[in-house]
Amino acid sequence: MTALYVLDVPENTAVAKVAAEDPEVRVGRVGPYFEITADGAIVVDRRATGCRHAVWYSCVAGVAGGRIVQHDKDALRVDPA
Amino acid sequence: MTDEGSARLEHKVRGVDHTAFPTFDPAGTVRFYRDVLGFPVVHSICAAGWGPEDHPDFIHFFFDIGNDDRIAFFYYFGLAPVHAHERGDAYAGFGPEVPEFFVRSRHLAIHVDDQDDLLEYRRRLDESAWPVEMQIQHETIESIYTHDPNGYMVEFTRAMRPVTPQEDLDANLTIDALLDVVAEPEPTFGKLLARKAELIVERAGPWESAQRDLARVEEAAR
Repeated sequence: MTALYVLDVPENTAVAKVAAEDPEVRVGRVGPYFEITADGAIVVDRRATGCRHAVWYSCVAGVAGGRIVQHDKDALRVDPA
Repeated sequence: MTDEGSARLEHKVRGVDHTAFPTFDPAGTVRFYRDVLGFPVVHSICAAGWGPEDHPDFIHFFFDIGNDDRIAFFYYFGLAPVHAHERGDAYAGFGPEVPEFFVRSRHLAIHVDDQDDLLEYRRRLDESAWPVEMQIQHETIESIYTHDPNGYMVEFTRAMRPVTPQEDLDANLTIDALLDVVAEPEPTFGKLLARKAELIVERAGPWESAQRDLARVEEAAR
């Protein structure tokens, strides 16, 4: 399972919301973090989040069971290990 | 927090007394800080050269940067610039082999209360010989930047919102993860995020419970 952790602060909530639009993706919580999990890849479209660049490039708190293969102006993609 | 040192050691310091830089351009420095920005001159020392080295006579002068904190400069009589590089500042020069992001990393950031104050300093700088070079909204702060007459990068910044308690937790988990990955060969950002994920799973739940308990205690005390 792939897990992406994002701190729950106002700037980051759109990242979790956009990730949750994928039916294969689940968004839970661990303390003050969103825990975004999937059996396969997790993909978040940057433009859909509306995050400005400084927020977008610093929104990832942790990655378990996978690795980031794309984090650019278009998308964040975490593939399973 | 999660850091054992800061939990054990009482935090008794009170901000920046002063930060000090050399200058070869005292006239420009006074124009920039006193006349353009309006920072009062609050202290100066006129000192004859002394000490084991062949120390020049010097003036050590201070400007108030708010909150009774100060920025200070040393002007050494008779001292020529210590390097001939075009890139860098009065203190240090850099050749073409040094990346630009590294040269631009060191800076002083001065806090202002709100956007009105940020824009007031922007106005003062833009009317001077040292106009604002960048205005940027970062993650939770907004900043303007320029270089002073000595080449030192100066930032003015305001918070766009207060820092939340969970951001302090997150900062501490980042630092603990960083210490773990730099203790091993070839540290990478990917390794840090993997280690931090482990720390989040381990500590974030208990942290939130403790925050709730604390809130209940505070509520009961009212």
